[in-house]
Amino acid sequence: MSDDEEGEYNTITHTETGRRVKLLYSKSKVYIHPTPSAKDNIPGYIALLQQKGLSSERPTSSSSQLSSSPASSDLLLAWLPESSLGDAASIYVKVDLTDDDSPPKQSFLVPSPPTVTTHRGSIGHYAFAIPVSAIYSLLVRPPSLGWWFGSVVINTRAGDSFPALFFHDSECQSTILQKKKLARENFDPFGEHGQVFWGGDEILRWLRRYVRIERSRAEPNIYLVEPSREDSEGFGGKASSSTPTQIGRRDSSHGISARGPTGAVGASPAGPSRQTHDASMDPVMKFVKETGWNIMEKFSKVTTFTRKTAQEIIDNPKIPPQVRRLMGNPEVQTIQNEFDSARIYLARWAMGIAEQGERDRTQRIWTAKDVMEMEDTDVGEFELLETSSMSLENRRNRVTFKEWNGFFDSHTGRLSMTIDEVKERIFHGGLDPDDGVRKEAWLFLLGVHDWYSTSEERRAQLASLRDEYVKLKGSWWERLVDLGGEGEEGEWWREQRGRIEKDVHRTDRTVPIFAGEDTPHPDPNSPFASVGTNVHMEQLKDMLLTYNEYNKDLGYVQGMSDLLAPIYAVLQDDAMAFWGFQHFMDRMERNFLRDQSGMRNQLLTIDHLVQFMDPKLYAHLQKADSTNFFFFFRMLLVWYKREFKWMDTLHLWEVLWTDFLSSSFHLFIALAILDKHRDVIMNHLEHFDEVLKYMNELSETIDLESTLIRAEYLFRRFQRLIEAIDKKQNFPAPRMKPKSSQTSAQSSSSPLPQQQNGKAPEQADKKTISPELRKLLSRNVEILPRKVVHKQGDGFTA
Amino acid sequence: MSGNRNYDFLIKLLLIGDSGVGKSCCLLRFSEDSFTPSFITTIGIDFKIRTIELDGKRVKLQIWDTAGQERFRTITTAYYRGAMGILLVYDVTDQRSFENIRTWFANVEQHATEGVNKILIGNKCDWEEKRVVSTEQGEALAKELGVPFLEVSAKSNINIDKAFYNLAADIKKRIIDTAKTDPSSSNVPVGRASTESGSKCC
Repeated sequence: MSDDEEGEYNTITHTETGRRVKLLYSKSKVYIHPTPSAKDNIPGYIALLQQKGLSSERPTSSSSQLSSSPASSDLLLAWLPESSLGDAASIYVKVDLTDDDSPPKQSFLVPSPPTVTTHRGSIGHYAFAIPVSAIYSLLVRPPSLGWWFGSVVINTRAGDSFPALFFHDSECQSTILQKKKLARENFDPFGEHGQVFWGGDEILRWLRRYVRIERSRAEPNIYLVEPSREDSEGFGGKASSSTPTQIGRRDSSHGISARGPTGAVGASPAGPSRQTHDASMDPVMKFVKETGWNIMEKFSKVTTFTRKTAQEIIDNPKIPPQVRRLMGNPEVQTIQNEFDSARIYLARWAMGIAEQGERDRTQRIWTAKDVMEMEDTDVGEFELLETSSMSLENRRNRVTFKEWNGFFDSHTGRLSMTIDEVKERIFHGGLDPDDGVRKEAWLFLLGVHDWYSTSEERRAQLASLRDEYVKLKGSWWERLVDLGGEGEEGEWWREQRGRIEKDVHRTDRTVPIFAGEDTPHPDPNSPFASVGTNVHMEQLKDMLLTYNEYNKDLGYVQGMSDLLAPIYAVLQDDAMAFWGFQHFMDRMERNFLRDQSGMRNQLLTIDHLVQFMDPKLYAHLQKADSTNFFFFFRMLLVWYKREFKWMDTLHLWEVLWTDFLSSSFHLFIALAILDKHRDVIMNHLEHFDEVLKYMNELSETIDLESTLIRAEYLFRRFQRLIEAIDKKQNFPAPRMKPKSSQTSAQSSSSPLPQQQNGKAPEQADKKTISPELRKLLSRNVEILPRKVVHKQGDGFTA
Repeated sequence: MSGNRNYDFLIKLLLIGDSGVGKSCCLLRFSEDSFTPSFITTIGIDFKIRTIELDGKRVKLQIWDTAGQERFRTITTAYYRGAMGILLVYDVTDQRSFENIRTWFANVEQHATEGVNKILIGNKCDWEEKRVVSTEQGEALAKELGVPFLEVSAKSNINIDKAFYNLAADIKKRIIDTAKTDPSSSNVPVGRASTESGSKCC
């Protein structure tokens, strides 16, 4: 704890007095689209920064600036998510809104963002800054047919690409201002020729002010940055090369009209760019855009909406097949039956359409490779390969058995990279579901194997664990003779055995290995004697009975069969599955106590988390009597097993087992699910039962990939907020509080500075960070002391 | 919101009983008229809706289903309070589930609204060769507890509708019809009537 505080102190000192860079240009509402779902888009700023801006001399006029132009290695092209800007945000806004072609007259200094020369270096965070000298080319794609947003992809000299940056021009104040300005100056911003002014143009304009940009003739959307002569010739850039002083706008209009047969935009009538693109739009989006939203919005507002009206919508001939498919979905019909309330039904329906539309439409939005493929260009194979080598998508590629084996020394079998490196890969990519890597990797993730063991050590360990499992199993086999025997203990055991029997026969029976009933039941007295069983169900029963014996304080509790089944299904080895399960139970144990303290604590943490991260939503949930967050009970008890499909559950669990960002990352999954459905909840759900039903009905409809990305984003945002608060509370501005030097000296040496400061009268109204929230930043798994389990376990204790 | 509802009364019911006696199956049979033999365990709490007609009135039943294992009782008892009727379910092929009814009943007395209507349900009555609790035993217990009794089978669809209809009719009689005779409280929302009316039916 005090070490952390110390580290924090250093960081702050660094930022306060450390290197600052000059912000030359910035533009807001430039997004990264990490997933096909628009809900996951991350808004940020693209900016041009100048390093070594140490001298605070006034910038000279723009003409002399050219001669004293900074070297391209001193210029940084950066993208920073809005959430990461902190105190510098206002500076970015100010520079963005500077109504001038040249950089602001005043020097605006901002903290230096982390600088990288390849995308590889920026893994884990989406933010990046790259020296302009390290940029090979820009793939610039104006808004056009089928694309809502124009985009820019930065290709590095190292040979990889950053994720595409999308310019949401309609949200960007500076672009709107620029458009207006152009309209004033030229009278027709969009012109009869249909050229469109958009945010990406400005990036080229910024760069041209300082460096040589050549447009490739072979591929008109590629702009080479300070190309070598070979590159220039290779790409035939000469024709449209431009001097730094030329403004990009002319080029961009060139670009569009030069698109030839596909350049339909050029011929389209004047008007906002987006409306000209409907021609090739996905039918759902087209429907939604033209009529759908109107109809749906209208109806979702009218409370007298009846099912008859819903029928009228279905009968509407304009409804595209996707919508019809959605209407036919049994899920939708169930909701229709169970909710009399049309509001909820419609809200979900609308959300389903939007999702479906997005999925159909934006499958390909996020990588450079895909952007280029859509371009239908004749760019060489090698370029395609390069741009996709380390894209966001690849980072989320599954870890294969081959890659996994590469993590280990081939002679000793000892891990040859850091645990964190392995965990990072699994956290972001998950494990290959088909090649058997899980069978091995799960034993590490669950804690059966030590990460730095040798293969020899693991072999020996497996053998002894097998022996031990057999021994443990023997302890209840004796009971079988007299079925538990006389007295209370016998009674308890028989009841537990009956419970396990019943539960195993209703656990994951849709998964092939647990589906069969081909084996005669060994116990004629079992309620399932007449239907039969299969060998895997029998193994589950044995393992659970063994665990019941092994952890007698707790005993078997409903839900445990759900936690064991996936482990057994993956490992397909009862002894190993038992030990894996035993380790898993170490962290899950608290959820099964009689007093439900583990569940209550987690629900309380979610309460704090939602209150902290989304006070508006929290207030709404309060009004709806839903701040007990009881709708998360099932999700937390069996780790979202009922919410995700089987294969997704396996993926989710291995991600959670890494504890890569937090040992409570599963609570951020809860937050992500809530966040995703925030609008529907806030607009349409007013009572506890409505919220509960809605959340329960999400079962098996949640998309895992986007949920994981959203959860990671929320975690990072949470982390930053906590850091920001700590910073403020630990280091109050000295000039405002004369005695603060004493305070901060105290706080940096105290183990609990923020609490001490919290007591100061001027900070009394400050938000405090609850211990529950602080624990979310920990990566250590909390394991209950045995005596707590003994006391609250409610198992059998002789 | 209440202006356009397509029911006249809302009644909240709660299913309780040991794990595996078939609470969720009874509910599924009643609300969707279907039966799945290998069901999943109920974790947490959920509800289903079915609107029935009673004496010419549309009565919307909101039926809450809970996890059976006593380990989760601290959580599930929180939902006793809002219930107007409770179905105590046991399994006629499981002696222990029958014996535990007394515990469940005591729990209801302790946590539920006073005067809440109850019914004792013996499920799986189609399974004669496995039966260990006789109909007479069930009747005797019901009499002792002072509650109505029915043997049902979710699987064979025996008496399921009857169980819910009977309970709903009792509740309507207790709350709604009583409220109507009281001139000062005509048109009282059902939810409020349930907590204010202290009348007992048994």
